[in-house]
Amino acid sequence: MPQLIMRRIGMMILIMLTVALLLFLMNEGDPRLIARSVLGPYAQDQQLDAWIVQHGYDRHILVRYVEWIGRVMSGDLGDSIIYKRPVNEIFWDRLGNTGILAGVTFVVMVIVALTLGVLAGMKEGSTQDRVISVFSITTTSIPEYASAVLLAWIFVFTLGWLPGTSSMTSGFNVVELILPVMVLTLYGFGYVARMTRASMAEVMTNPYIRTAMLKGLPYRHIIMKHALRNALIAPFTVIMLQINWLLSGVVVTEFAFGYKGFGALLLEAALRRDIFVIEACGTAAVFVAVFTQTIGDLGYTYLNPRIRFK
Amino acid sequence: MSDKKILSRDKRRYLLPSERELGAETHSYLPELCDQLRTRKIPRRDFLRQAALLGMTAGVAYATADKLIGGAFIPSAAAATPKPGGTLRVSMRIQEVTDPASFDWTEKSNVARFLVEHLTRTKTDNVTVPYLAKKWEASDDLKTWVFHLRDDVTWSNGDKFNSADVAHTVNRWLDPKTGSSNLGLFSAMVETVKGADGKPMKRGIANAVEVIDDHTIKFNLKQAALAMPENFYNYPAAIVHRGFGKDYAADLSKNPIGTGPMNLESFAVGERAILKKARKWWAGPFHLDEIHYFDHGEDTNAWIAALASQQVDMVFRLPNDAIDTVKRLPFVDLHEATTAQTAVMRFRITEKPFDNLKLRQAIAACMDHKEILDKAFKGLGQVAENHHVCPIHPEYAALPPLKRDVEKAKKLLAEAGYKDGITVEIANGDTEGRWMTDVCAIFKNQLAPAGINLNINKMPANQYWEVWDKAPWGYTAWTHRPLGTMVLGLGYRSGVPWNETAYNNPKFDAALDDAEATLDVNERKKKMAVCEKILQDDAIIPQPFWRSVFKAANKRVKGHQTHPTLYHQFHNVWLEG
Repeated sequence: MPQLIMRRIGMMILIMLTVALLLFLMNEGDPRLIARSVLGPYAQDQQLDAWIVQHGYDRHILVRYVEWIGRVMSGDLGDSIIYKRPVNEIFWDRLGNTGILAGVTFVVMVIVALTLGVLAGMKEGSTQDRVISVFSITTTSIPEYASAVLLAWIFVFTLGWLPGTSSMTSGFNVVELILPVMVLTLYGFGYVARMTRASMAEVMTNPYIRTAMLKGLPYRHIIMKHALRNALIAPFTVIMLQINWLLSGVVVTEFAFGYKGFGALLLEAALRRDIFVIEACGTAAVFVAVFTQTIGDLGYTYLNPRIRFK
Repeated sequence: MSDKKILSRDKRRYLLPSERELGAETHSYLPELCDQLRTRKIPRRDFLRQAALLGMTAGVAYATADKLIGGAFIPSAAAATPKPGGTLRVSMRIQEVTDPASFDWTEKSNVARFLVEHLTRTKTDNVTVPYLAKKWEASDDLKTWVFHLRDDVTWSNGDKFNSADVAHTVNRWLDPKTGSSNLGLFSAMVETVKGADGKPMKRGIANAVEVIDDHTIKFNLKQAALAMPENFYNYPAAIVHRGFGKDYAADLSKNPIGTGPMNLESFAVGERAILKKARKWWAGPFHLDEIHYFDHGEDTNAWIAALASQQVDMVFRLPNDAIDTVKRLPFVDLHEATTAQTAVMRFRITEKPFDNLKLRQAIAACMDHKEILDKAFKGLGQVAENHHVCPIHPEYAALPPLKRDVEKAKKLLAEAGYKDGITVEIANGDTEGRWMTDVCAIFKNQLAPAGINLNINKMPANQYWEVWDKAPWGYTAWTHRPLGTMVLGLGYRSGVPWNETAYNNPKFDAALDDAEATLDVNERKKKMAVCEKILQDDAIIPQPFWRSVFKAANKRVKGHQTHPTLYHQFHNVWLEG
C-alpha cells in the first residue's frame, strides 16, 4: 500500500508539471502579447519593448518556466491584469465561494442520488425503478445552461419565489444558493444514482442476500445492513469524480447566475486573457482533478479487499 | 486673452443692442445662427447645439430659440417632486477604474462619473452645455478656445478646483506615455514626430494649453476645431486633480479624489462599486444617497433575472433579444434612446486581399442594409450608408440612397481579379450582443450570389478587442458621439490611434479639416457630404445600420432619461417608495 501511495503521488506530480508546462507555453509563449495585455491597447511599440525587457520576458522560455514554478511553489501567483491586484487576493476567495456551492450541492446530490439509486436498484425492473431511471436520465441529459434558464423562468419570472442571481451582493444569502444548487444537483445526481442503482441491483442478486431473505430477516434490515454497504463501493469513485466536477467544472452554472466562484473567474480570465489568473486557475483545476482521482483510486483500493490484497 | 481672434473689446463697443441680444458678444457668429433659426434654415435642435458650442449658456440658448420661433421648451425632467435618499442598484460590468484618460469602456466611466467630472456635459437631447467650465469663447477661426472655469468647485481633498487641474489633465492626454485615445480626439492639438526609434509618434503641440489665470484656460489649436466642448464630454475626458499621476499614483480606484458628489466606498473589479453621497455638491442637490453597481457577469440573462427578482433597479444595457421578456415585467419601464451607435464591417485596407479597392467595393455593393436591420435587429434603428455619419448628427448630409446591386458586385469582383469568386473571413466578437453574429450571417447570404463566400470567425468579445485594429476584416461596434466630425476624426483621420482601417487619405483629412472649421451648419453639411462620399467610394466600412439602445429600470426609479451613449447622468434621478 505505501508503495502504491508513493507511486500515485509521483504520478500526480509528473502530471502537474506537464500540464503546468503546457499552460505556461500557451499563455507566456509570446511576450509581446503579454505586454499588450498588461499595458492596454493604446500602448505604443516602444512601451511594449521596454516592458518586455524590464520584466525579463526577453529571456528563454524554459528559464522563465522554472522561475515561474518556483514562484508558484512559494505561493506567489502573480498579479491579475484585469483585477489589478495579486491573484492570491482573488483566487482563494473565489475558490472558497465555489467550495461553499460545491459543498452544499455535494451533500444534497449524494443524498438524493444514493436514496434514488438504492430505491431503484433494490427492485430492479419495477415501476419504481423505471420512473427513477427515466427521471435521472432525463435530468442528466439537460445541459446546465438549459436547466438554468428553465428553472429561472419557473421560479424567478413566473412564480417570483427566488432571486434570479446569486452574486451575494449584500453578503452571504442561502436563498441565492437554491437555484444553482438545483441546477447542479439535477445535472449531476443522475450519474451517481445510475451507478448506485446498478451496483445495488447486482448486490441484490447475490446468494447471501437470498439467504438472508430465506432466513426471514426483515427487508429493511437486509437492505441497510447487508446490501447497502457492499453496493456503495462501486459508486465511490463516481462520487469522488463529482468533487472534481463541482470545484472546477461548474463554469456554466456560475456564469448563468452571476455567482462569484472559481469557474466564473476562470471563464472571465480566459475571455479577457488575464494570463496569470488563467495559469493559477488552470493549475488549481488540474490539481483538484488529479488529487481527487488519486484519492478515489486509493479509497477504492482500500474499500475493495479484492484489490487491496491483490 | 487671445491675440486677435477672440472678439475684442473695441469690436464689442460697436455692437448693436439687437446683436448683443443675439449673443454677438459671446461669438460673432451667433447673430447669424439666430437668423438661420428664424428663417427655418436650421432646425431648433441644431441651433441649440451650435449656440451652446459657441459659448451661449443653455438657458439663454433655449430662451432665444423660444423667442425666435416660439414654442416654449418644456424640460422632460420629472414632473413630481423628487424625494431625496435611497440607494439605486444597477447591474453593470465592473472593470478596473484606474486612469480616466485611458478608459476604453463606457462602464468604467460610469463609475468614475460620480467622482471626476467634465468641463462640459452633453445632455440626453444631444446638446452640450457648460459644466465645470461655466462658459467658453471660440475665436472666429475656431483655432483658439478660452474656457472660463467655475470658481465654486472644490476637490474632495479640500483643494480648490482651478486651471492647473485642467492644464494637468489635458497635458497628460497629449503625452504619448499616457496612452490616451484623446490623442486622436483632440488632433488639433497633436503633431506627429519621429520617435527615438525612428517610428512616427504622436504628441501634443507646444503651447497647446495656456493657463491665463486661476479660472481661465486657453487652448491653442493648429487647425480649426468646432467640437471642442463636445470632445470634453467624451468618456476618457474627465478632469482629474492636478496631483493625479504626479504626486500620487494614477489610480482613481485607490485615490478617488474628485469634484463629484460621491465617494467610492468600496470597489472590486468584477464584483461591485459602492458610491456614497459625501458632500455638498457644487451643481445642486443630488437626490440619491448611494449608488451600488453590481457585476453579474457576461451573461445578459443574469442581468435580466436580477431585474426581475428586484435585486437591482436598473440594468446598464438591455440586449434587444430581451426586450419582449422585459415588457412582460409589470414593475419595469423600458427605456429607448435613438442613437448614433453602430457597428462597422471595417476593412484593414493595408492587409490583403482588402487592399484591393474593387474587392471592397464589390463587397459593399452586395449589402442590403434594410434587410439586415429588419432581420437582425427587428428594425429598431435606421439604415446606414457606409460613411459613419448618422442622420441625427447635425452635419449629416444625405447622399443618394445605396441599393444592393449584385451584377455590379460581380463586375467589380472580376475587375478585382476574382472572377471565379473569393472566400473571405470576418472577425466578430459579439461585443454588443448576439445580433452581431446574425448581421454577419445575413450578410453572408447577401454576398453568396456574387460569388463571395464569407466565413465568420466568431470569438469571445474580449478576444475581439485584442484584434479589433489588426484583423484584416472585422465587425467593430462604435458608440454614439454627438457630432459626425468627432467620429470621423477619431476613426478615419490618418494615423490616429483608433484608425482601425489604417485609412490614410490626405484628401479625406483635408475635407474633414475643412468641415470642422466651418461654422455655418448648412455649409458644413455640404462639406461633410464630400467626406461622406470619399468614405463611401473608398468602401472601407460596409455599415449596415444605426441602432437604438435600450435600458430597463424599475418603475420606482424616477427622473431618469437614457443617454444615447449609456452614460449615467443621475442628476435628476430619485427613488419612489
